[in-house]
Amino acid sequence: MIQTESYKLSMGPVHPSTHGVLQVWLTLDGERILRADPCMGYLHRGIEKLLEKRTYFQCLPYTDRLDYVSAMNNNLGYCSAVEKLAQIEVPKRAQYIRVIMAELNRIASHMIFIGSLAVDLGATTGMIYPFRDRERILDIFNELCGARMTYSYIRIGGVKSDLAVKVISMIDDFLAKLTDMIDEYNDLLTGNEIFQYRLKNTSILTAKQAMELGITGPMLRASGVSYDLRKDNTYCSYEDFDFSIPLGEKGDNWDRYIVRLKEMSESAKIIKQALAGLPTGEFMAKVPKVLKPPKGEVYDVTEGPRGEVGYHIVSDGSAKPYRVHIRRPSFINLQALDIMCRGYLVGDVVAAMSTIDPIMGEVDC
Amino acid sequence: MQGKGLLVGLAVTLKHFFGKKETVQYPEEKIPMTEAFRGGKLLLDEKKCISCKLCAMACPNTALDLTVEIDENKKRHMKNYIHKAGRCLYCNFCVEACPVDALSWDKNYENSCYYRENLTYDAVENNRKDEKNG
Amino acid sequence: MQGGLLVILTDKLFYGINYLSGNEFISQLIMVIVQIMAIFAVISLAAIIQVYMERRICGFIQDRLGPNRVGPWGLLQTVADMIKLMGKEDIIPVKAQRILWGITPMLLFIPAALIYAVFPFDDGAVFVDLNVGIFFVMAVMSQSVLMFLLGGFASENKYSFMGAMRAVAQMLSSEIPMAFAVLAVVMVSGSLKMTDIVAAQSNMWFIAVEPLAFIIFTISILMEINRTPFDLVEGESEIIAGPFTEYSGMRWALFFLAEYANLLSAAILTVTLFLGGWHGPVLPGILWFLIKVFLVIFLFMWIRWTYPRTRIDQMMALSWKVLLPLALFNIAATGIGIYIYNWM
Ligand code: SF4
Ligand code: SF4
Repeated sequence: MIQTESYKLSMGPVHPSTHGVLQVWLTLDGERILRADPCMGYLHRGIEKLLEKRTYFQCLPYTDRLDYVSAMNNNLGYCSAVEKLAQIEVPKRAQYIRVIMAELNRIASHMIFIGSLAVDLGATTGMIYPFRDRERILDIFNELCGARMTYSYIRIGGVKSDLAVKVISMIDDFLAKLTDMIDEYNDLLTGNEIFQYRLKNTSILTAKQAMELGITGPMLRASGVSYDLRKDNTYCSYEDFDFSIPLGEKGDNWDRYIVRLKEMSESAKIIKQALAGLPTGEFMAKVPKVLKPPKGEVYDVTEGPRGEVGYHIVSDGSAKPYRVHIRRPSFINLQALDIMCRGYLVGDVVAAMSTIDPIMGEVDC
Repeated sequence: MQGKGLLVGLAVTLKHFFGKKETVQYPEEKIPMTEAFRGGKLLLDEKKCISCKLCAMACPNTALDLTVEIDENKKRHMKNYIHKAGRCLYCNFCVEACPVDALSWDKNYENSCYYRENLTYDAVENNRKDEKNG
Repeated sequence: MQGGLLVILTDKLFYGINYLSGNEFISQLIMVIVQIMAIFAVISLAAIIQVYMERRICGFIQDRLGPNRVGPWGLLQTVADMIKLMGKEDIIPVKAQRILWGITPMLLFIPAALIYAVFPFDDGAVFVDLNVGIFFVMAVMSQSVLMFLLGGFASENKYSFMGAMRAVAQMLSSEIPMAFAVLAVVMVSGSLKMTDIVAAQSNMWFIAVEPLAFIIFTISILMEINRTPFDLVEGESEIIAGPFTEYSGMRWALFFLAEYANLLSAAILTVTLFLGGWHGPVLPGILWFLIKVFLVIFLFMWIRWTYPRTRIDQMMALSWKVLLPLALFNIAATGIGIYIYNWM
């Protein structure tokens, strides 16, 4: 009699497509997945603990290092939480600049997503083009604040520096080219039949499952749930802009890809409006040199490229936070990996992992 | 039509095959660093510095280790300005904290080295060396 | 036989050796050795050129320059890499079955090199003109799957084993459509002999007569030699190079060499069967042959750097559900076509 047996396969932590140091324990029956257990912690740096020993200002550079491909959004999340705690009113101009930068960073982050999805499916060239285009955004940030990845640009009370004319023209340039860039991805990847066959109807995550797991961001929207904090819980003057929220239908890998692709054009729309209506005035509020927020706690959420970035800060009235907890979207989204993989093939795990788009710095914190 | 996307993809890559290349031939060609670029070593302008240590206090990761000396005229001046670049987050907080703009970056990004100790340097000492070499 | 440039050269060489040695048998023997050496030289040289080509093409497609530092235009890059590989530490996994594991790379090289014996490079320039040439090629080509299986099995690594299983599944499903596609060509030319197939194309290349067979053949040969979009056996982002996972240094280089030897033979096969072999106006046959072969290699590389990888079930579905019926239909159509042609 023939007997079959399942076996375990350790994917990672050193594996080309685990986006850093993630380990996934796969229980396999031949090539079919019975179970996928993500095992994390290889990049743990204890950031939450580190923040307790730093003043509110000094915490900022650490938030860059959580989700290192969208540092602006993390800066924004932290700063708005602290501002809420210390009741600081941010000037309108600063809010607009923040929106511009957060959306630019969202585009950059989605470009990384497209690139890494392509390379995980074996299309190396599909990786190079988005990464090359992302470089243009990094050039803008480099001109703006002198760093390519860890910006620390959005500060408590405003932003570090005003928008220079050169930066504005660079952004205009970039936006003009963005449509061509997206067209190129469409030609090379979206239209490609192999790419479609690989992604369509695989790793389906239904809206119910997604909501039960607390999935947020493009992943949730790909399952058809219209939930975007920029619309539903507006912050930072997002209510001033006119944009739509792309939704998926089925919640398969393909929807997750398309939703992100469409979000890039929506972000571009927001940036254009923000640049056109950029108010004059201060770019920084009056913030005391030593910030001692009143006793109490605050939880504030913003919409990052991967989902809800939440900061829970407890203050004991001193210059240093008593406790900071960070809701990292990648970490929570990664929990869906098991559901998304069961019953599919090894080739699909890689695709599922890419469409979750986890950043290990954020998962392990 | 199945297969059309495949041909379109081939057309895209062929266009790039003959297109302009992005490569910068690194050691010969270098991308100029921007005005705001933060990176490289810290340059201390000793004439400006008032030895207030505000920069060290602003540093989130205690990467700066300063020793201040009081000379015979009761004037404070910097004896050692040690920057442990291995700990540095390149957050620019020190430069911004300085009340007299005595700090700046030398923007030399070629600062990799073989040993970890070589990352730590003394900005005051570097100034002396520069003086000697003219 | 009239003979092309290569044949004239070998004849000259043979007379020279014969003049020196004075013994017909000894000079025959020396010639055989020279020819075998020539095949090995061709394979190694071609591998070096192809690796360079691949990198340059990949670089150009991706808006980069590719290797351009070692030697003029980076031509010596591959040589430098070879030297680096030779200098590497030879790591043998503790649990591997040492003998099997050790001989696999060498065994893999045998079928890869053996095929070259029957390829007509030029008019009359063929090592042995077997009367079942194309059959021999198909038979030998499919041997390499055994080595993949051995290598994956002997490594005692789950990734390698998975790669080995994939290799078997893939080869089985690619061989059959390929055989049927080739059959159509054989029907038209009326011979299994490689030289006859080429000779039959002196007026009209078979790509014009059998376009469908050409497409089926190209797809299935891509499966056969594990190139993107069907590089499932290696699948870097899924199973980390599959059977090669545990190999390093020179052993890995042998795998690599065999892979490029296979790529070259796939290109040669395509040219011989469909693109008229060495036929072409003005230039000598060998030049035409080389030009066509490198164009086909370029096509393969171009495809590789454009497409993503398929999934194992999709690849099988493609070959069993699409390519095989198409190939069968093509054979029927060819048969009817030949009948009508003869009748007219
Ligand atoms: S850049 Fe930041 S981390 Fe580095 S020395 Fe200055 S304040 Fe400290
Ligand atoms: S803050 Fe400026 S003036 Fe004060 S010690 Fe530092 S460098 Fe000198």
